[in-house]
Amino acid sequence: MAKVLIPTPLRQYAGKQDSVELSGSTVGEVLTALTTQHPDLRQQLYNNEGKLRSFVNVYLNDEDIRYLQKDATPVKDGDTVSIVPSIAGGSVAAPPEPATAELTKDEILRYSRHLIMPEVGTEGQLKLKAAKVLLVGTGGLGAPLGLYLAAAGVGRIGLVDFDVVDFTNLQRQVIHGTSDVGRKKLDSAADRMHEINPFVRIDKHEVALSSENALGILRDYDIVVDGTDNFPTRYLVNDACVLLGKPNVYGSIFRFEGQATVFAYEGGPCYRCLYPEPPPPGLVPSCAEGGVLGILPGTIGLIQATETVKLILGIGQPLVGRLLLYDALAMRFRELKLRKNPECPVCGDHPTVTKLIDYQQFCGIPQPQPEAIVEGDIDPTEVKAKIDRGDNFVLIDVREPHEYQICSIPSARLIPLGQLPQRLDELDRDIEIVAHCKSGMRSAKAVGILKEAGFRARNMKGGILAWSDKVDPSVPKY
Amino acid sequence: MLRIEPDAWREMVAHAQAAYPNECCGAMLGAIGDSQKSVQIALPLENAYTGARASRYELRPEDLLRADKEARSRNLDLVGIYHSHPDCDAYFSETDLKNSCPWYSFVVLSIRNGAFDHANSWLPDAEQTKAEREELTY
Repeated sequence: MAKVLIPTPLRQYAGKQDSVELSGSTVGEVLTALTTQHPDLRQQLYNNEGKLRSFVNVYLNDEDIRYLQKDATPVKDGDTVSIVPSIAGGSVAAPPEPATAELTKDEILRYSRHLIMPEVGTEGQLKLKAAKVLLVGTGGLGAPLGLYLAAAGVGRIGLVDFDVVDFTNLQRQVIHGTSDVGRKKLDSAADRMHEINPFVRIDKHEVALSSENALGILRDYDIVVDGTDNFPTRYLVNDACVLLGKPNVYGSIFRFEGQATVFAYEGGPCYRCLYPEPPPPGLVPSCAEGGVLGILPGTIGLIQATETVKLILGIGQPLVGRLLLYDALAMRFRELKLRKNPECPVCGDHPTVTKLIDYQQFCGIPQPQPEAIVEGDIDPTEVKAKIDRGDNFVLIDVREPHEYQICSIPSARLIPLGQLPQRLDELDRDIEIVAHCKSGMRSAKAVGILKEAGFRARNMKGGILAWSDKVDPSVPKY
Repeated sequence: MLRIEPDAWREMVAHAQAAYPNECCGAMLGAIGDSQKSVQIALPLENAYTGARASRYELRPEDLLRADKEARSRNLDLVGIYHSHPDCDAYFSETDLKNSCPWYSFVVLSIRNGAFDHANSWLPDAEQTKAEREELTY
């Protein structure tokens, strides 16, 4: 007779006993006797095919029977047979399992609207399941991409982001919710995507993509989707895609207009064929500076998602060699032909860029310097003190009227930067002027104009945002 | 519902914080009642994963067998398994799910910057396709 120890949660299936005495000459016979005596245990230990479930290990005394003679391991009187689950885990997803060439019952139900279309079908859904897509950025474009690619059943989705959800994101980044403010965008996006589709593996890359890490991260994926909002990263993603031979599904947005295309795909052009040189820094405003219609990234991101899915399935005409332009106000799509540039420094016939470079420098963006005290700058608290003391000075607000409408400092006079040169005669040369804007950039330019014209002028450091932080928190930030 | 008694909880949090930035794992011993499970003893076990332990753990079945024996000798039950997620939320990851077992409660402790952040308890199904959250008090 051998004693089988029953794990606590299984005792309900074994007449509440913590151990059962059974006869049998091998472990296999003992287990058969066990499940004959307690048939309910069978389903706990064996799968539908009659095999021991993957997490079930059987020990004879202190040894795993897999390293003895498995089911045929002989059992002596007084031996103890134990059922021990194997348990592991971890915060990151497991390494890819060998591509399973079939869909589970749950997957068939979930993807049925795909499966009944011959263009997708089971074969296409399996391609989606085996696909590995990297989303660079989980912001405006990354939000619809993440939601729909997860829903569509793309098997593995990588996310690159290092940002935290903030209230100003919620107007367009629909993958994040109000309760996510303050969380890492990666965590917030991954949770939402898993909620939509728990079958999708999500790999989080909490980094700023750089020349040092880009190849290592992109290498594991089949398709890279660019949802970034700045030129250095855009060139970096492009060059890395060309060097690794991965398609780069590109999208960009500004105010009411967007663009999309597929770069670096099967002999097609790359981003550098279209834009060999970055624009001078500061010429093209970012969304934070220029604003963006909240819905716009939805439209462009979904065009990118559509192209991604088409590339995976190998159906339709990919958006290669064509730049799609979208104008939301006119509600019009246009298309520009793009050609591969044989002189392109990265994808041309004689490439000169053969490894990743310093993209900040390439885009002319100076390395961040420690905050310099600019002579004549004045802190918002000091401005407040001047107002309270009744000092003789003029505070001018050089923002635009629609910004002034959002918030303003009570005693400030609105003179938008663009009108300042024509309106200098409204100002008194004998009185000190303090200029402010949103964050201090435009007002610095205003101070330059004023000084040149012979005024005594100072710039309020940090603009109305700093005023809100340091002086009056009731002033809204935007 | 799973209730973790103060001494066991302190032990689990201390273990998870000490293991940071790696994941820790251990067994929870207690009693299984009709409507409630309680944990009286936390038994730290070795994370036997041979790769980067910052994002993975593995329990040796031998250690689990030892934990089960320990429980039996104290007239307690092996109620569940705990492990930590350094710098990420206490969700039940795909890896957790694919290496789980439906018989136990799985408590995940989120440790951020070396300090306890939050915890959840999970009940995976036998097919390893999903895990339900279980009410947890400590």
